[in-house]
Amino acid sequence: MLEIKPIFNSLFRSKAGAILLVLQIAITLAIVSNSLSIIKDRMDYLQTDSGYSEQDLFQISTSVFAKDTDLLYLLEETERTLLGMNGVVNASFMREVPLSGSGSSSNFGNKPLDQNESEDYRSVNTAYTTTPASIFDTLDMTLIEGRFYTDSEVLKFNGDGGDLPTQVVVSKHYLDEIYPDGDGLGQFIYIGNSPIEIIGVVERAMGPWPKSNRPLNFAFFPIVDATGSQKFVVRTEPDMREQVMNEVEEVLLAQFNQRVIMNIQGLDDAKREYQASDILMLRMLVILIVLLVSITALGIFGMTVFNINKRTKQIGTRRALGARKSHIIRYFLVENSILCISGMVLGAIGAIYLGQMLFEHYSVPAFSAMYVVYTAIFVLIISLLSVLFPANRAANISPSIATRSV
Amino acid sequence: MFFHYIDLSWRSFKRTPLITILMVSAIAIGIGVTMTSLSVYHMMSMDPMPHKSDKVHAVQLNTRDEGSTWWTEDDLPQQITYQDAVNLYRANVPAVKTPSFRTGYSIHFDDDSIKPFIENIRVTGLPFFEIFDVQFVEGQPWTQEQEDNAEMVTVISRELSEKLFGKESAVGKQVYYDEHLFRVIGVFDNFNHHIKYYDLTNGHFNSHERAFIPFSLTVPLEINNWGNTNGWKYQDIRTFEDKLQSEQHWVQFWSQLDNPQEFQAYQEYLTNYLIEQEEKGRFEREAPSFGTRDLTDYLDYMGVVTEDNRVLVAMSFMFLSVCLANILGLLLGKFLKRVPEVGVRRALGASKRDVFAQHVVEVSMLGLLGGLLGIALAQLGLWGVRTTYSYYSELATMDLTMLFSAPIIAISACILAGLFPAYLVCKTNPAICLKTQ
Repeated sequence: MLEIKPIFNSLFRSKAGAILLVLQIAITLAIVSNSLSIIKDRMDYLQTDSGYSEQDLFQISTSVFAKDTDLLYLLEETERTLLGMNGVVNASFMREVPLSGSGSSSNFGNKPLDQNESEDYRSVNTAYTTTPASIFDTLDMTLIEGRFYTDSEVLKFNGDGGDLPTQVVVSKHYLDEIYPDGDGLGQFIYIGNSPIEIIGVVERAMGPWPKSNRPLNFAFFPIVDATGSQKFVVRTEPDMREQVMNEVEEVLLAQFNQRVIMNIQGLDDAKREYQASDILMLRMLVILIVLLVSITALGIFGMTVFNINKRTKQIGTRRALGARKSHIIRYFLVENSILCISGMVLGAIGAIYLGQMLFEHYSVPAFSAMYVVYTAIFVLIISLLSVLFPANRAANISPSIATRSV
Repeated sequence: MFFHYIDLSWRSFKRTPLITILMVSAIAIGIGVTMTSLSVYHMMSMDPMPHKSDKVHAVQLNTRDEGSTWWTEDDLPQQITYQDAVNLYRANVPAVKTPSFRTGYSIHFDDDSIKPFIENIRVTGLPFFEIFDVQFVEGQPWTQEQEDNAEMVTVISRELSEKLFGKESAVGKQVYYDEHLFRVIGVFDNFNHHIKYYDLTNGHFNSHERAFIPFSLTVPLEINNWGNTNGWKYQDIRTFEDKLQSEQHWVQFWSQLDNPQEFQAYQEYLTNYLIEQEEKGRFEREAPSFGTRDLTDYLDYMGVVTEDNRVLVAMSFMFLSVCLANILGLLLGKFLKRVPEVGVRRALGASKRDVFAQHVVEVSMLGLLGGLLGIALAQLGLWGVRTTYSYYSELATMDLTMLFSAPIIAISACILAGLFPAYLVCKTNPAICLKTQ
C-alpha cells in the first residue's frame, strides 16, 4: 500500500546519501534535545521572581576617605539627603545589596552550638544583611507573619560594632527550611551559642546570589554599623529612577565631598549583569539549534531535489503507467519518513547518551526523555515540510517525459 | 595544472550556483558557529606565562579538620590563613615565594586637582615582581629593606601613572590612599593578559590591579582584604588582631621552584610544616595535605575554561559534522552527475590521479570560500558574545592563530567530505560512461 518495499530497494541502491541523511537527523536530534533541556533549566533560573520591584530600585556605594569622620552620623545624613530628593520614595543603608552578586552568608543553627550532637540539630545556610528598619518599606516587602523590627530596636555602631543582634526578620524560604514544621515564628536561630529571635517573616526576598542553591534564603538583622564603605538601596517613584540616578552623585557630594560615589546601578541591571553569562549561554544555544535545524532542513530539501532530478524519467514512467500525482508525493513523503524515523531511533539513543555524558561531567540538569519526544516530533514535521515542496514539483512531471529519450 | 583545476572548479560552481551557494553557506555557518565558541575557548585556555608556567606554583594548605569539605575537587581551600602566609613567607627554603591579596583604597591628592576614585590595590611581597615577571618602565620595586621597615611606598602601573600624573614622571611623587600618604617609587608596564592568573579567587577575567603596596603594611594599616574570606569553624572574631590569628583563609600564596630538587625540598618542607602546625593543635588530620600545582594545572583546577564553554565547543563540533554530512550528500550528487564528463576526460588520457586531484581542488575551493565567509560569521557571533556579556570583551576576539585556523579547518573539513565522492568519480570505468552517451 505504502510502497515500502520499492522504497527500500531504491534506498539500497544509493546507500551513501541515505546514511548521511539518517546521521544528520540523528545528530540534530541529539543536539537539539539536549540544548532544549539546558535552555529550559536556564529559563527557569532567569525567570525566578526576586520578590522586589527591581525596575524602581537602585543601589549606590560610597567610600569615605576623610579621617575622623562621624561615620554613623554621615550614614544617617546620607539617608536623609537621598530621601529629600525629588522622586525618591525611600532609601536605606544596606550592607549587602540583593541581586548584586556580593554579600555575606552564614550557617545558623536551630539550637545552640553546644547542642550540635543532638539528633534534631539543624544548621541551615542563608544570605544575611544588617540594615535599618526602613528597609522593609524601601524594598516594599510583604510581611506574612509577625512584625518588622522598629527603628528603636536597631543596634547602632560607629565602626566598632561587635554586639550580636537579638532579633531577626527572615524570608519564608529560610523559615521553612530551618523550622520545617511551620512553627518558626517566635523561635530562635543561633550564632554559636547566642540566640536570635525570629520576629517576622517576609513572603519573598532574594539574596545577593540568584544562582546559589538557596537564592531565596535571606535574613535581616537590626544592626547599623557605619564603616567607611557604605551601600544604600533607593526606591523611586515609577519612571523617576533614571532622573534620580543621574542626579544622585552630585547631590551626595554636595552634602559631603570627602568620599567616592560609585556603583550607581538599577537592581534589574545588577541582576542582568550577574546573570549575563547564563543569558549568553541561552542565546548561543538558541542560535545553535535554529541554525542546526535550518541546515538539516536544507540538507533534506537538497537531497530530495537531487533524487527527483535523478529519477525524472522513472517518475514520468510511473505517471504514464497510471500513478496519480498524490502517489508520487506519497512516495517521497514515505521515503523521507523512513529515513527520518531511522535517524530518530539512532538520535534518541545518541541524545540520551549525550545527556548522560553532560550530566556526569558538567553541572547541567538530568536529561529527561521527554525532550527527545518533543524534538523528534518537531524534526519530523520540519523534514516533511522540506520534502513537500520538491515532491510537489516531482508530481508535476509530465508522463510524456517517459517517451522521450535523453 | 593547479590553476587549470581552479578554473574548472570555478566553471563547475557557475554551472550549479544554487548547490554551490548551499554548500558554501553550510560550511560557512558550521565554521562560524565553531570558531565563535572555539575562539572563546582558545582565549580561556591560553597559557599566560609559557616560559615559566611549569615553575610557578600555587600553594594550598589543608589546615582544616579531617572531614571538613570545600568545593574544590580535593577539598583544598584556594587561600591560606594569615599566620601560615607569614610562616611560609619567612621559611628558610630555596624558593622564590610571596603572599598576596587584594584590597582597595580611594586615591586622591587631598585637594581638588583630581576627583577621588576607588582603586583595587594588591598587597604583596617583593618576590611577586620576580615570580610574575613584572617589567618596570621607571623606578624600581621596593627594596627588601623598605619592605622590612614597612615603609609607605607604592608602585603603580603605567596606565595609573598617566591618569594621576599625565606625562610627568611618577617616581618620587606622593599620593593618598584613603588617609595614608604613599610615595611612588616605581612604575610597571601594564599587565596585558586577559586572565588574571595571579589571583583567580574573584573572577578569572577581572581587571588587573594598578597599584601594589608591601605586605608588611598589613598589620600597621590593618588592611582588610577585598575578596573571599572563608572560615570553617566557629570563632569569635571581632578585632583585626582576631582575624590575623584566626583560621580564616584569605591570603594567596605563590612559590617559584626552579628545578626538581627545589620542588622536592619544598614538598618536604610543607609536609613538616603541616605536621608541626597540627601538633600545636590547630586542626586534626590523618595525613598532611597540601597542593603545589603549577600555573597551568592551577588554571585548569580553578575552572578558568567555563563548563558552558566546554559544552558549547563540543556541541559546535557536532554541529560542524552535521554541516559536513550535508555537504557530503550534495557533493555525492553533484560529482556523480558528472561521471559521463569524467569518462571523456579519462578516455582522452587523464589518469585517475588527475581526476581525483581535480575534485579535491574543487572541494578545497569550497572550503576556502566557506572558511572566509565563516570568519565573517564568527566575528558577528563574537560581537554578539561581547554585547551580551561585557565581561568577556577581552575574550570574545579572534587572535591570529584562530584567524588562520578557520580556513584550515574549513578546507580540511571539506576535503574530508569530498574524499569519498571524488573516489567514487575516479573509480568509474570510462568505457561504460562513454557508451551511454
